[in-house]
Amino acid sequence: MPWERDVNMTPQLVRAESQPSPRARASILSKVPGVLYAFIFFIAVFGVRARGFLSLANLVNVSLQGSILAIVSLGMTLVIMTGGIDLSIGSVLSLAGAVTGLLLHGGSPVPLAILAGLLTGMVCGAINGFLISRLNFFPFISTFGMMGIAQGIALVLTDGASLPGFSPAFRAIGDSVVIGIPLPVWIAGAVFGVIYFFLYKTTFGARVYAVGGSKQVARLSGIPVSRVLLSVYTISGFLAGLGGVVLISRMNSANPTVGAGYEFDAIAAVVIGGTPFSGGRGGIGGSILGAAVISVLKNGLNLMGLSAPWQLTVIGLMITAAIVVDVMIYNRKS
Amino acid sequence: MNPVSGTVMNPESRVVLAMRGITKDFPGVRALDNVDFDLREGEVHVLIGENGAGKSTLIKVLCGAYRPDAGEILIDGHRVNISDPKRAEALGISVIHQEFNLLPHRDVAQNIFLGREPVRGPMGMIDFGKMYDDSKRILDSINVDIPVRTLVRDLSVAQKQMVELAKALSFNARIFIMDEPTATLTSREIERLFKTIASLVSSGKSVIYISHRMDEIHQIGHRVTVLRDGQYIGTLDVKEASLETLISMMVGRNIGAGEIRRRNVVKRGREALKVSGLTRHGRFYDINLSIHEGEVVGLAGLVGSGRTEVARAIFGIDPYDSGEVFVFGERLPKGSPAHSVERGLGFLPEDRKDLGLALGMSVKDNMVQASLRSVSNFGFIDFRRERDVAQGFVKQLRIATPSIYRLVRFLSGGTQQKVVLSKWLATKARILIFDEPTRGIDVGAKAEIYSLIDELVKQGVAILMISSELPEILGISDRIYVMREGRITGEFHRDAATRERIISYAMGKGREYDAAAGKG
Repeated sequence: MPWERDVNMTPQLVRAESQPSPRARASILSKVPGVLYAFIFFIAVFGVRARGFLSLANLVNVSLQGSILAIVSLGMTLVIMTGGIDLSIGSVLSLAGAVTGLLLHGGSPVPLAILAGLLTGMVCGAINGFLISRLNFFPFISTFGMMGIAQGIALVLTDGASLPGFSPAFRAIGDSVVIGIPLPVWIAGAVFGVIYFFLYKTTFGARVYAVGGSKQVARLSGIPVSRVLLSVYTISGFLAGLGGVVLISRMNSANPTVGAGYEFDAIAAVVIGGTPFSGGRGGIGGSILGAAVISVLKNGLNLMGLSAPWQLTVIGLMITAAIVVDVMIYNRKS
Repeated sequence: MNPVSGTVMNPESRVVLAMRGITKDFPGVRALDNVDFDLREGEVHVLIGENGAGKSTLIKVLCGAYRPDAGEILIDGHRVNISDPKRAEALGISVIHQEFNLLPHRDVAQNIFLGREPVRGPMGMIDFGKMYDDSKRILDSINVDIPVRTLVRDLSVAQKQMVELAKALSFNARIFIMDEPTATLTSREIERLFKTIASLVSSGKSVIYISHRMDEIHQIGHRVTVLRDGQYIGTLDVKEASLETLISMMVGRNIGAGEIRRRNVVKRGREALKVSGLTRHGRFYDINLSIHEGEVVGLAGLVGSGRTEVARAIFGIDPYDSGEVFVFGERLPKGSPAHSVERGLGFLPEDRKDLGLALGMSVKDNMVQASLRSVSNFGFIDFRRERDVAQGFVKQLRIATPSIYRLVRFLSGGTQQKVVLSKWLATKARILIFDEPTRGIDVGAKAEIYSLIDELVKQGVAILMISSELPEILGISDRIYVMREGRITGEFHRDAATRERIISYAMGKGREYDAAAGKG
């Protein structure tokens, strides 16, 4: 990865000579994640420049779009924190949507169709996790393969065509509004809450950080490294499945390639949110903000009449900028 | 003056650990041969020996990394089987590693309890309150004042060591193994560490302390055991262990066996390499050396004394802060291996497999790697010339390979070393830096490498050789520099160099040794 960097490269000997005690606390400004500044900056710019950006209807729309990205970014964060990557989530999202859509069109009950979609995502993720944790596949290769496989199966199952028109019961997932907030946003919030609990309050979280920090140290401390890896990829797959179900409900159509590009946006959200590829650092709060920044950016650029290619370019620039800023801060600290 | 010895340990205290007749074989070498070692309650037992004497192997046997081929280990008088590191930990044995097994981005308490966090409830919720309180209590018990919420990456090396100690204490370790714990500490930090060790042993814990620093042995040790060439030489009370006694135990008296000698000692030519005032902070300081054509200069010293770092800086792999390097009188730009190669320098690294060779490439491709320009026209490789060059070296150096297309991976250590050498001969290098040229090579191949060095000297090549094997350094070098803790502490002509003298200088006791030798 071009943006990967090893933070442990600083020679210890040199540090020992120059720093006998804990270094001074960073100023309060540098404690606030940079992504928050970006968020405020874009809201301000679009508020002034993009017509209708600050309207309630548009803000609801942005949060709706952002909720699915947020869901898959949370899984991606766990994966990246262990030092891995999951390139397959876009395709898995499409496949899960296609499975759910097919079952609904075949007359299955809604809960069964939803369950099948979630299970599809979970199985894809578990396969990734198995290959990576037990057979020592590189995460890049394993999930890269899954990216093709899941996309291919989605296209085969649907004959490459969209499956439009679902029952109101199913559409309720994407369309309901609870206490003024769309249900997908609630779902994203619930996912955030559950992952927050496990990541910061339980041994599971401590293990994720340990595996990402150093697999060797984790192993020597008796941490079941394989099981941790298996679970983060399974969670990532499951959340891609959840994203697929919510997305086709909101769009009232299951398109077999609807998830394409989600892996790019999710990785961007995680990296912009301050979780580096070196692993063992970062957290889910930044990723949520990262997902928000990307959603705001896409929406605002749309309103200003700048098309998808421009959005892609700007997001790419932001990833690079996030890395540069992080490296600069890190170098200054050490 | 002495924070530990004499004040605490009762010489009749209980033996907590006994190792009897430990033997460990590796292919081609017996690393430990019938070694005995015991450790008493509340004791600091120092383990010393030259590089390769078997200290590390013994420790690895004790902490479950290696299984001994023979011998037994008793803890509290009961025979135990230390099958793996987890078992060692359960038995209360803990190694304080030189490279720390800590996660830089987690805080002190999280590291102390890594993998063993206190939990409550069925979900595995971490009891953070207990974790931070316990961490603080453990640190307090060894009089260490580090905030338990500090990230480990913000700690100094000394503080990280304390966290490692606290971690060991948290699972009730009783036997602490410290491998050169003071190597990277400042004198104030060393003082603090010694106080901590003192409070450890006064609470009945025991410490196995590996050190190369003679003064430390007397400062904190109770007893000292000497190993040499994988054999147990003896155990002394530190009070009766004088410098001369320890050095003669480490070196042995029969030096004549298996002597290495060079045939060609040629008249030295122009000054080929001159290094003046080379300094890299934290690594090495004010290095001055010079090598002439047709001369082999040895760089001796203990592992970690900075020899390899100096060589890497000269060749341009690593930067340096000040000083200059001259090649045939011309200043060599720093930090550029490409310039070094152009000016006729070659570097044969210690870690052949990582830095010297592309294992997955053929003999031929490795040989021409540094001299592609000379086998190509306008950027196009002349395959015939390339093949001729490679076959020439195979014949000239008697390289045992079925063909020049054989992947280097499949060759023996000695043969691989010859391929690396060919690579530099192909560049027509006039100055070669050998870092541990015979490490991991069998005896026959060693002799061949020595005769190749001999041959190169005759052709007027200047050679800088780093070696931890004293017979090799003494036998091959015309002159020897000795390094200790990043500085050159002595320079000897081959006639003035003896094993004892070099070891004394490498351990920082050169002047005392010379004074004693002068008297005697």
